[in-house]
Amino acid sequence: MSRALSQKGSWTNALFVAPYLFVYLCLLIYPLIAGMGLSLFKADLFGGGSFVGFENFARLFRDEVFLQSVANTFYFVALTVPPLTVLPLLLALLLNRTTRVAAFFRGVFFSSSVLSVTIVTLVWRMILMSEGGLASNITALFGADAIAFLSDPKIVMISMAIITVWWCLGLPMMLYLSALQQVPKDIYEAAELDNASWWRTLWSITLPSVSRTIILVAIFECVLQFQLFGQPQLITQGGPNGASRPIVLFIFEIGFRRWDVGYAAAASQILFAIILIATLVQYFVTRKRGVQ
Amino acid sequence: MCRPQNSIVTVLAAIACLALAACQPKSDVTEVTVQRIFGECRANVPQGQAPIKNPDGECEVVTHLLDEFQKANPDIRLKVNIAPWPGYDQLSAQFASGDPPDIATMHMSAMPDFASRGLIEPLDGGFKEVGLDVDNFTPAARNGVTIDGQVYGMPFDNWTQLWHVNMNLFAKAGLVRDGQPILPHNPEELLAQARQFKAKTGLPYLLQPTDNERAAFTRNMFTYLLDQKAVFFSDPKTIRLNTPEARRIVNLFKQIYAEGLMAPGQDYPAAMAAFLNGEGGICLVGTWMIGTFEAEANTEGRPLYHGYAVKPYPMLFGTEQAAYVDGHAWVMPKRDRTPAERAAVLKLMKFLQAHDYDWARTGHLPTQKDVAQSAQYLSLPHRNDIVALASTGKTLPAGVERQFAIQDIVGDEMASAIRGHKSVDQALSDAEHRVNDLLFHVLSRQDR
Repeated sequence: MSRALSQKGSWTNALFVAPYLFVYLCLLIYPLIAGMGLSLFKADLFGGGSFVGFENFARLFRDEVFLQSVANTFYFVALTVPPLTVLPLLLALLLNRTTRVAAFFRGVFFSSSVLSVTIVTLVWRMILMSEGGLASNITALFGADAIAFLSDPKIVMISMAIITVWWCLGLPMMLYLSALQQVPKDIYEAAELDNASWWRTLWSITLPSVSRTIILVAIFECVLQFQLFGQPQLITQGGPNGASRPIVLFIFEIGFRRWDVGYAAAASQILFAIILIATLVQYFVTRKRGVQ
Repeated sequence: MCRPQNSIVTVLAAIACLALAACQPKSDVTEVTVQRIFGECRANVPQGQAPIKNPDGECEVVTHLLDEFQKANPDIRLKVNIAPWPGYDQLSAQFASGDPPDIATMHMSAMPDFASRGLIEPLDGGFKEVGLDVDNFTPAARNGVTIDGQVYGMPFDNWTQLWHVNMNLFAKAGLVRDGQPILPHNPEELLAQARQFKAKTGLPYLLQPTDNERAAFTRNMFTYLLDQKAVFFSDPKTIRLNTPEARRIVNLFKQIYAEGLMAPGQDYPAAMAAFLNGEGGICLVGTWMIGTFEAEANTEGRPLYHGYAVKPYPMLFGTEQAAYVDGHAWVMPKRDRTPAERAAVLKLMKFLQAHDYDWARTGHLPTQKDVAQSAQYLSLPHRNDIVALASTGKTLPAGVERQFAIQDIVGDEMASAIRGHKSVDQALSDAEHRVNDLLFHVLSRQDR
């Protein structure tokens, strides 16, 4: 009797997650599978089309613009994920105290994160424009030529990375602060009694205590930065010479400008696979190193 | 203090009133959904009033025109959606969900995409019904809205890129004769005059957006290909860009850029600001900026004060005036609609045709012959200088689909070549390959 009740109870518990599960299946899993199916068709925005198997994928690997966008995306992730993992940690360590100054700077560093990409790009456009931008005015004060932040193919992705790091620092910093505040105070007191140096405390107590958050931030930022879109779309349209075109912008151009949605869906599957692999590799590598 | 019985009576009475209202005969008002671009400016155009600010602005004129139509036709209710430029993401989503508007603005260059898919209606029959005279369309306008011999839209305007000239700086550079700017007739003259301008003023001869911009380069390319009478679309599925004619154009602009005769590193707002601030001789931008520049020319103390002229692109390779033009049109998306709704849409189109002059005040080229020839239009500033383009301007061949995407690709590659990131040959070859690949993969009619 009690067994039957417990079984009934476990079945009805599913009802609590059912609404979420329903929305999740409809808005995420179904489009994901539909996208996989679509990538095997030659189709436009309004449907139709014919089954072409893996031809869209074969086209992608012959498409120099796509290959360049993949390289650009990896470059951008390499430029942004390390600073977005380390800098917020340093800021959190500096601001993890109960003074008013620390509270003020926590607000300052988080404030950029609440801005929309449109505002962020408008602000940075005014800074980075080589004609009349703030940066060029500063270099002119020293008699130097303006740096072509947005029109030099070698520099443009670095500019995108600077903008992104400035914009995205806030959230990981808050995650680190939250993790730091959960480290028991008595461990630090014990270290103090043992005369442990600041460095020793950091290395042996703080970092191991927040290691899970470091992994979380690294994976989160990796997933996020692979999806770079708004900044190059609004500031450079992927130029100059395609040097700031990431995969998502490529997908947008193909899907919405060219209406070649089967091809765009194939590129989306590749982006999905890249993010999945990068995340899993990161996760397993850090686990193997004994981070628990 | 409120007595509960009274409250219940009040609520019941309200419900009864609502029920009675629902039983009333259906309203005679026909609702029509209008979807347009050109922005939101209700603050400048109070309902029922003429614009109180910027009366010749695109947004103000179109808002006022729709208000006027509404006022004159109380039996029609316009429900206006304002879509962000260029409006096709929203429109495509509406088509995909089976709920497009009744009437929408559309670029002539985008019409083949929607017409070939059967998403917009041919209007020859409807225009005949309401007496909308298609023979009054200017050649450029008629050409722009005609696909496979059928008219798919009511042309609202044609626009093209022009040479906007700072006459004060031109005078300083010794490039004014009889009150007119001295413009080049061939590439050598262009380079010589640009060098002379730079030597005398210390400023770049040309201002054109080079960063975050693709369309401007493409328009230069298409206009100067037409100037050379080059057939770059032998059929709607194939572009030819790796040609001596295209090389001539790109090499010329590359040299201009390399010699510092064109301002580097400017995006669209920066290039416009530079021209308004007197930081360059010629601004290559569209008809829509005439009003803004003219206002500056009438403002004492501004660099353009009493010193602004605007001309069609000077022909550098041939002698016959040519120009690549595009335009805006009003189209009727295909959907189920009542005869009354259809009649209301056609009535609105006829109204807009009759107000072509009002829209032409924005700087755009008129689409109606009678307006283009009228003293009223020609007395507007600079219109005498550009009105010929309403006849001579050419759109791309009507069957060419995905023109926006083509514009992006050509502009992208031209920018790479002009700024020296790629060789000219490589850029033209890549542009040709990318465009043809795009057109090859457009769904054929049997696949749709």
